[in-house]
Amino acid sequence: MNNFSDVYFALRRKNKSQYALLFGCLFFSVLLITAYCLMMRSPTVMNTLPEGGDSRKQVMMIFVLSVIGCGAFTLYAAGLFFRHKSREIGIFLALGASKQTLVRKLRREVGGIALLACSLGMALGTPLSWLVWGVFRLTLIDTPEMALLFDLRAYGISAAFSVFVILTLLLMLSRFLGRTNILDIVSESHRAEPVRSVPRYYGIVGIALMTVGALLGYFTPSFCVKVLHWYAPDGLTAVFHLPTLIGLYMLLLHTVVNGWRRGRSRYPHLIATGMMQFQGKQTVRNMLVITVLIAGAYFAAFYVPMLVTPAQLGMKSRPEDYSFFFRADQNLLTQSQSEIEQMATKNGATVSDYMQQPSATLAVDGYEDVETTGKIGTTYTVEYREILASSRFLSESAWNALTGGNLNLAPGTVAAVFNSEGNSGGFISKDITLVTNPVTGQSLYVKSVEPVLKNDLLFKCRVLDDSDYAAITAGLTDEWQERQVLFNAENDNYTFAKELFHEIVARSGPEVELCDGYDRIIRARYIENGTDYFLEPENAQKFGSPIIDYNQPDSSVFRQYWLYMPQFRVLDQADFTTNMAVFLLLFVFVAILCFTAVGVILFVRSMTLVLINAWVYQDLRKLGASDQYLRKTARGQISRVFLAPIVTGTLLILGFYTLILLGNGEGGITGYEWAGLGNCLIVVAAISAALYGLYRQTLRSSYTQLGIGVKS
Amino acid sequence: MLNVSNLNKSYQIGKTKYEALKGVSLDVEKGEFVAVMGPSGSGKTTLLNCISCYIPSDSGEIQLGGTDLAKLPEAAIAKVRNEKLGFVFQDFLLLDGLTVRDNIMLPRIIGGQVSASMEQTADRLCEVFGIAHIKNKYPADISGGEKQRTAVARALINSPELILADEPTGNLDSKSSRAVINSFLQAKQELCATIFMVTHDSFAASFCDRVVILQDGAVRRMLSRGEVSRRAFQDELLNVISEMSEVSGQ
Repeated sequence: MNNFSDVYFALRRKNKSQYALLFGCLFFSVLLITAYCLMMRSPTVMNTLPEGGDSRKQVMMIFVLSVIGCGAFTLYAAGLFFRHKSREIGIFLALGASKQTLVRKLRREVGGIALLACSLGMALGTPLSWLVWGVFRLTLIDTPEMALLFDLRAYGISAAFSVFVILTLLLMLSRFLGRTNILDIVSESHRAEPVRSVPRYYGIVGIALMTVGALLGYFTPSFCVKVLHWYAPDGLTAVFHLPTLIGLYMLLLHTVVNGWRRGRSRYPHLIATGMMQFQGKQTVRNMLVITVLIAGAYFAAFYVPMLVTPAQLGMKSRPEDYSFFFRADQNLLTQSQSEIEQMATKNGATVSDYMQQPSATLAVDGYEDVETTGKIGTTYTVEYREILASSRFLSESAWNALTGGNLNLAPGTVAAVFNSEGNSGGFISKDITLVTNPVTGQSLYVKSVEPVLKNDLLFKCRVLDDSDYAAITAGLTDEWQERQVLFNAENDNYTFAKELFHEIVARSGPEVELCDGYDRIIRARYIENGTDYFLEPENAQKFGSPIIDYNQPDSSVFRQYWLYMPQFRVLDQADFTTNMAVFLLLFVFVAILCFTAVGVILFVRSMTLVLINAWVYQDLRKLGASDQYLRKTARGQISRVFLAPIVTGTLLILGFYTLILLGNGEGGITGYEWAGLGNCLIVVAAISAALYGLYRQTLRSSYTQLGIGVKS
Repeated sequence: MLNVSNLNKSYQIGKTKYEALKGVSLDVEKGEFVAVMGPSGSGKTTLLNCISCYIPSDSGEIQLGGTDLAKLPEAAIAKVRNEKLGFVFQDFLLLDGLTVRDNIMLPRIIGGQVSASMEQTADRLCEVFGIAHIKNKYPADISGGEKQRTAVARALINSPELILADEPTGNLDSKSSRAVINSFLQAKQELCATIFMVTHDSFAASFCDRVVILQDGAVRRMLSRGEVSRRAFQDELLNVISEMSEVSGQ
């Protein structure tokens, strides 16, 4: 041993587990963030997830949670490293080493570790994303759209995270060595971090605050929009989630410091509770991170059951197998019933219950939100428009023919068609008073009747009395009229459905190569106002709206967003997962990353917790504690690290999800949504089982580390 | 050698200010073995930590060989700690990742004075303190007494002007305590070391040339052993401590 570097090297070799822990935590955090960024910014995902859509917002929200979680995890790892390192640094200082020398050495050492870990994390993030996505494609779904492309700009985000990690480490190092009291540095590694006494009401108040925060956080944005007519900035409304975080902190603090047991039942857990208290601050911080990550992970994991279950149930309960409509000016008029029947026969199916009825697109009145951007953001005023938007209308006899009903509307009345669960989904108002023929300009005053009609295949249509329908549609040109076709098929099969779908696309003209939501009445108003209509095909790039291309009829964008997309049960059921593959697997990917982070943090935190307290176990053994008692004590510690954040995070997200469904729906949670929630519970059960497995494994590892005989 | 004059130190805990040292003054001559005794909270360890410059004092002077330590910049203090002071702590403060021999050489390595003589000195100190047979072992593999003798050897490797020892026998059994005290006596006799030791232990203090008794942050008594036997000096120490306890009502 010839110089200080040799000493340093010898110590590093001896304490390699601490270096490995720091390296591993930094590497894992950067790896996870890089993989997430690459996926989130991948053209594969960006081209599929609509801009400004909920899916993108959800992915971004979970990303923010992951960054917070990983950031806190790296801080924890760094803090732990410096705690371990403090003893030898203190001894060096006590023996006369200069601070400058130590700062130089440590900065080089910690900086080197951080740089290597971050670089490796960034480098391996790409193969990790590619590998996980590849496994998905190999084992679950593979579509041409799933070909994974990477955007190099994604590395910018993970590089920024890495810079944050490195700078934070160096800052912590400066603070660590900036202290003047050498004895503080020497004793740092043995110093406990007890949380001051916490009143028992913290538990209940914490739960109350979490509930209030969840309600405030969820309802404040809609309150701002609906009552104040103000699109409040996201940053401002996010403040209303703060009570949730404060409540969560109070709840975890109470759980760690006081525990939920009272009276004599707390005695068997006294040691575990005591040890937890002396690691209080770090433990609570870690639990907070795990709770937030668990919530984010479940939020991602629930996406699949909540999307798939209602959609599949909806498809299954459609009254007819086949439904499509087309504009009367299209050459699909030549697509007669016999042509469809011949196509069915060729494919081994038989058409039955064939129905074709006319419909018309007319203008309806309503209220428009006129937006103004000012100092406080965007506000809007509501202005009545006699001609607001277009709507498809059926006569009552057409409705009866298509549905087998016996509707008899009084003249001057109109009935809106909601979906089979009685929801409008915000797509159709039941309160119109004026209908206008867009060609002749003739108007008809109507009164909306209730209850609304329900039908998934004719959803968003309106029904008029026969005489009113005849009068108001008089003079309509073909481009404003449609034909609605419904039929069933015996021996129904995918080949027939797909051939028919492709035939419909092939016969459709460029004037109907439009995306869902395209409205000629609204477009006319935009043009009148001299502004670009955001759903105009030529404006798609500019506004990020879906691009409909007849050359790609099987793309998920086409299937999801074509204005005239047919609803063929067998086709939709078979292709649902394919059409939604990128959506579904992106969220599965995100959930896997978040749950992996949760698992790693739980394991690392539990192991460090028992190892920091290893001397207590030795003392307990000297006092005569049996292996059984020591096992129970270790279990008491580890179960608290696992149980409190997992249960809290899971309940929090289940509650929040239910709140979202309640807030979105018009008549509470629908049957399909309940079914979706049921499947979410199955996901919770599966994940909980996996986490329980990890808990058992962690317990076994801790017994081994503490030298406690494992129960056979 | 060491002159401490009118040293004051206080701690602020919450809104309360505790005066740990109140105008402490004392001298230690070269080659002298001096102990500081006193009840818990009397300011013994604070005094030692101020002399070591581990914690800053509020006012007063600490002169080592004519240099006022309190006025030195950080880098110069580090040099003094490395070259002029040797430290022995209650919990040894050995580095677990280094062998006994490496731990002993650590102050030289830190000071950049690496030479062949360093290893020879370390080996000689191992011989002197009876730890040669464990010099290649790690701290985890040796007894408490051996650890403390290693710490004494480490404190002496740079031939410091003054050895500062904080409760060096506090964590040891009587046999190991005796071995450590013997190490100090050997260092004094064979290496002409000056030793300033804080202790609770009247047995350990009874080997010293002089004992300073602190109470409530101030020097209350100073006892010189003179020519009396160790046992008689220990009895005297116990009597004085007992009297002081009675006066203060403890």
